[in-house]
Amino acid sequence: MAEAFYITARELAQNGYEKLPRELDSSKHMIYSSPATLDFNSPGAKGFGVKRAGLVIPGSVMLLIAPGCCGRNTALLSSLGYDERFFYLLLDDTDIVTGRYVKKIPEACKELLSELDTPPSVIMLCVTCVDALLGTDMERVCRACYELTGVRAAPAYMYALTREKRLPPMGLVRKSVYSLLEPQTRKSNECNILGFFSALEEGCEIYPLLKSAGIKRIREIGSCKTFEEYKEMSRANFSLVLNSEARAAAQDMQQRLGIPFIELTRMFRLDKIENQYRLLGQAIGAGLDCSPYRAAAEQVIARFREKHGTPTLAVGESLNADSFELSLALTEYGFRVAEIYGTVGERNFVFVKRLAEVSPETRIYSNLSPTMMNYIPSAEVEAAVGADACYYHVGKPGVEFNGEAQPFGYRGVTMLFEELGRAFEERGRG
Amino acid sequence: MKGLLKKLSPFAPDDSGACSVLYELGGITVICDAGGCAGNVCGFDEPRWFEKRSALFSAGLRDMDAILGRDELLVKKLALITEQVDAEFTAIVGTPVPAVIATDLKALERMSEKKTGLPCIALKTDGTRLCDYGEELAYYRIFERFAEEKLPVRAGKLGIIGATPLNTGETDSSAIKAAFAGEGSKIVCFGMDSGLDEIRRASECEKIIAITPSGIKAAKLLSERFGMPYEAGYPDICPLPSDGKILSDGDLKGRRVLVIHQQFLANALREKLERLAGCEVTVGSFFSMEGDYMREGDLHLDSEDDLTALAGKGYDVIYADGRFGRILKGFGGRLIPLPHFAVGGSLNKDVKL
Repeated sequence: MAEAFYITARELAQNGYEKLPRELDSSKHMIYSSPATLDFNSPGAKGFGVKRAGLVIPGSVMLLIAPGCCGRNTALLSSLGYDERFFYLLLDDTDIVTGRYVKKIPEACKELLSELDTPPSVIMLCVTCVDALLGTDMERVCRACYELTGVRAAPAYMYALTREKRLPPMGLVRKSVYSLLEPQTRKSNECNILGFFSALEEGCEIYPLLKSAGIKRIREIGSCKTFEEYKEMSRANFSLVLNSEARAAAQDMQQRLGIPFIELTRMFRLDKIENQYRLLGQAIGAGLDCSPYRAAAEQVIARFREKHGTPTLAVGESLNADSFELSLALTEYGFRVAEIYGTVGERNFVFVKRLAEVSPETRIYSNLSPTMMNYIPSAEVEAAVGADACYYHVGKPGVEFNGEAQPFGYRGVTMLFEELGRAFEERGRG
Repeated sequence: MKGLLKKLSPFAPDDSGACSVLYELGGITVICDAGGCAGNVCGFDEPRWFEKRSALFSAGLRDMDAILGRDELLVKKLALITEQVDAEFTAIVGTPVPAVIATDLKALERMSEKKTGLPCIALKTDGTRLCDYGEELAYYRIFERFAEEKLPVRAGKLGIIGATPLNTGETDSSAIKAAFAGEGSKIVCFGMDSGLDEIRRASECEKIIAITPSGIKAAKLLSERFGMPYEAGYPDICPLPSDGKILSDGDLKGRRVLVIHQQFLANALREKLERLAGCEVTVGSFFSMEGDYMREGDLHLDSEDDLTALAGKGYDVIYADGRFGRILKGFGGRLIPLPHFAVGGSLNKDVKL
């Protein structure tokens, strides 16, 4: 039985992205649904998969149009109170080869409305691989639903087949959830934050920094309580895009609503954060004074090191960060990252190259490689960062760092070290 | 509208059922999907995923694989895995994607055997049916293929078919074996704490007990092939209420009761309720029902409306999974929880009755 495959950062950087080993290229092997990363493998699974993300519009309901297998795990969302918002049109074997069910969708919408006390703001029509293959024109289906019911409908494409396309399911669903916004007079002192389905952690410095630049209203879809609030997002003067998966949505908003956008990246290296805020300030014509936030982050890191030293870490990918950028940041703060469980892409290969210079022996694994079923945790790892790393290193201090309150900027750094500090205090050093 | 669920969420599908049967048999199981089906199986329908290791993978199909029908690539990836993971056979489990593009699973089976040198079984599930369909297919194919040799019968050896978490709410066989201890000295739950070797030695069994309708077809096959008798039954384990609980519940005496579950568990509860409380019991199931084990009035349910209508027929008590509670809100009688993993996803160990 083959051992879990890994490659060191040095070897990977030397070979270059073009010569990615087969085990790190998910198109060349079967996919292991590691218990550590189940939500990664399925765009409809836990966390904010397509299904839950589609329901982020206040007052919305969802009709999942699919074979039963695609909606099975939706029961996981019951505990979060979604039962009353999900409906299913189950397809049988004849449906999926003939596509005859498409004509039934408007009638199904009408019938589900009779179950509701108040009309929903929108019916999200969630479709799956079946419609990806049949090429169903969902825009047309949505129009037909609206004509019959008078309630707007929007598509949510849960197309696992297209996960590696230019516009993957999580990008498409972001575009869908902003698609109901309509043009209105924009206000110069309002902006949107796009990228996540839940709001940024409330202590994030981006709020006071934007306020200091004269922005009075900052809206995020995750904090909209009503459909009216959601609709106000089209008043924004500009949008900040904090996750590249929201780029298509921002481009669409720019085209339809005239709202320009500025793209930022979630990073954990202090210099890079500072530089990014400086550029943001230039873009919006304001000097942003980040120094107190940077100082606070530096202080939290220093305090952690004072108390707990610089433990050897394992960093996963089921977390609110890019595994490689975060590993690079941790290495630059003086920690040793022994292992990374991550997905190497063209975009984050730049971090791999830098990591090869500062931590060449860091071992890089792919959670999706079938050989990971033979993974044996390394004894040198003293703490884990990320839900998957915690799974592999059960018993060691660890932080999942995948909560719904999104980390960003300096606050992201302080959140991480505060959580790590608590984990060490609870469990001691691994 | 047929197929529209307004209160329920979907039950465990056929591909989950097939994977559940194969899970502990020591093969490499490939779910022929893009990732979502495997996520549903591993993340929801297969609770053993977090307890027992199994070589269960997603084919990781992408749109161009499906559009171009790249069967060779799938077989190539399967062959690669056989170099990395020890296995006695391979299995390919169908999903909606191969169903839509009409993948020739039989051809895939032959191509895989040729390439890997290992026996392969391909199961034509498509995610539109329920788990019992996939279980029946998997049990039948696995016994048909591997239980070939006639061995001497071992006195007291009892073979159980149907022991999957979906049917029993158990992730290991200890409770089931304990419940059947009075009927045999050596009890094997095929596919639960036992592997392919026990399938190969199925002919040693003195008797086969199918604990779900999905096990009947395989039980008949073994009976025809080796001559041992088979019967339907269900172990006296949670969530079946104990005799003491039924006896102490005075409210049940002489009541009209409806039991909703998989047929053989429901039949076992009916037998208890009739014997201990003199109830008049009807069995209903959304899953397949074997005609030989049905009574007059027992019903196969096809939709939410079927259950609403049935509940309105004057029953005093309904035993059913808690997930049915939303449909049965208007039911005037007493609703007693009877968890069913294939419906509500609760394991017996997590159940508080």
